[in-house]
Amino acid sequence: MSLEVKNLIKVFDNKRVLNNISFKVEDGQTLGVVGFSGSGKSTLLKIISGILYEDEGQIIYPDDAEIAMSFQYSALFDFLNVYDNISFPLVERKEFRDKYTKEQIDEIVNEKLQMVGLQGIEDKFPSELSGGMQKRVAFARAIVTNPKIILYDEPTAGLDPVTSTIIEDYIVQLKKELNASCVVVTHQLSTIKRAVDRVIMLYQGNIVFEGNVEELLSGTNEYAKQFVNATVEGPMNIAQK
Amino acid sequence: MFELEKTLTYRAFLLLLGLSREFLITLGNIGRDFSHVLAYILSLKINVRETIEQAKRFAFDSLPISLTIVGMTSAIIAMQLAPELAKQGAADYTGMLSAIVMIRELAVVMSGFAIISMVGSSFASEIASMSVTQQINAMKVLKVDPVEYLIVPRFAAGVLFMPVVFVVAATFGLFCAGLVSHYCADLSILNYITSLWRGLVVKDIMIAILKSSFFGGTIALISCSMGFSTRGGAKEVGIATTKAVVWSFLAIAIWDFIFASIFYL
Repeated sequence: MSLEVKNLIKVFDNKRVLNNISFKVEDGQTLGVVGFSGSGKSTLLKIISGILYEDEGQIIYPDDAEIAMSFQYSALFDFLNVYDNISFPLVERKEFRDKYTKEQIDEIVNEKLQMVGLQGIEDKFPSELSGGMQKRVAFARAIVTNPKIILYDEPTAGLDPVTSTIIEDYIVQLKKELNASCVVVTHQLSTIKRAVDRVIMLYQGNIVFEGNVEELLSGTNEYAKQFVNATVEGPMNIAQK
Repeated sequence: MFELEKTLTYRAFLLLLGLSREFLITLGNIGRDFSHVLAYILSLKINVRETIEQAKRFAFDSLPISLTIVGMTSAIIAMQLAPELAKQGAADYTGMLSAIVMIRELAVVMSGFAIISMVGSSFASEIASMSVTQQINAMKVLKVDPVEYLIVPRFAAGVLFMPVVFVVAATFGLFCAGLVSHYCADLSILNYITSLWRGLVVKDIMIAILKSSFFGGTIALISCSMGFSTRGGAKEVGIATTKAVVWSFLAIAIWDFIFASIFYL
């Protein structure tokens, strides 16, 4: 149930934001996608998740694979409480509505909330939750259909270091429990160190580094060095960006 | 040396071109959303639970303001019309004229305005806010079509429940007009009701119900479509809401003209 991206090209306003991107993520593996803002990371996730269409190339995964995505700012439905947010796809999609009774849906929601360490908040609305709790509810909603491909867009953005660690642990735990192929877009080195198996780095729509976490952190790739050391000087021209 | 780019005419032309482009894009978005909505409705894929939720907003949330606007307007018209008609010895026509004005135009247009301000604006800002906070994208990833979940129920509620608002508002308006005529022109309630019956024509009522249904659908569609195509942040949410209100007012005026031309010309 792996995910493969082949020769992906996306053009916005005559500018290639993704240029011939290819990679593969195996079952139970997490790929980290790093790069400066505007390098095409979020566009890549949007194409994999089906929000945007590719101009060229292929996204290959089994037909029956559910894809889930956790958004940068959670994107919980603010007019629904936690229970309704998590049960949303089960209630609104016909295949699940026909498959599960109300009691079964209750059970599934409880189970998913347990998986992200939250219980007893079913009646709360997203605005009543902290940033970290919103992220975990968003995770619970994302995994409610037992997806085999999970995409995370900056899962620790705006969170304090301790909450970030908790979130990173859940990314690892969910991957193991669901044996899913995961893609994590992040700027955080801590997330890369704790939650990622392999890394690609994007710059101006191109993959400029591909390797494991060790190679990213202490390898010889100039792009990786500049990113890890957070220096202005290097092959990536920040001023130009 | 003459530089075309610096001339006022050239700049005005560019501005006009930009506005026309924006107009056509908005029209295209509304058309695209309407075709999707129509496809769902024709295949009877209507989320009944959500439609009932939205119907409550259409029928109840807008009712107080609809009743106030229609009631006050009809009272003001009766206040000015009834004494004049009484002076001419035609007080008995007050009810009939009120019925014609109320049923053919006032009740439906005024309640349309109330619904634009109460319901349409909230549809637009709600969906625009969902759009800029990625909630619409989240819905797509969860494989729930946002058109089916958000627009179709609102459109259906508009088509089905705007006529309800119209009927209640028109009845209330005629009641207010009768009351004011009684106090301002000494017209007996019985005379008013007798005159009213002469002005109540089944054809007019049916046309008004049809018209209100068109108004309801149009307001819901335009408001949702404006919200749906919003990108950016808080500023764009505000712009989308304003655009939804302005476009809805324009659409109602155009529909009203079309209906009048077809049925009363």
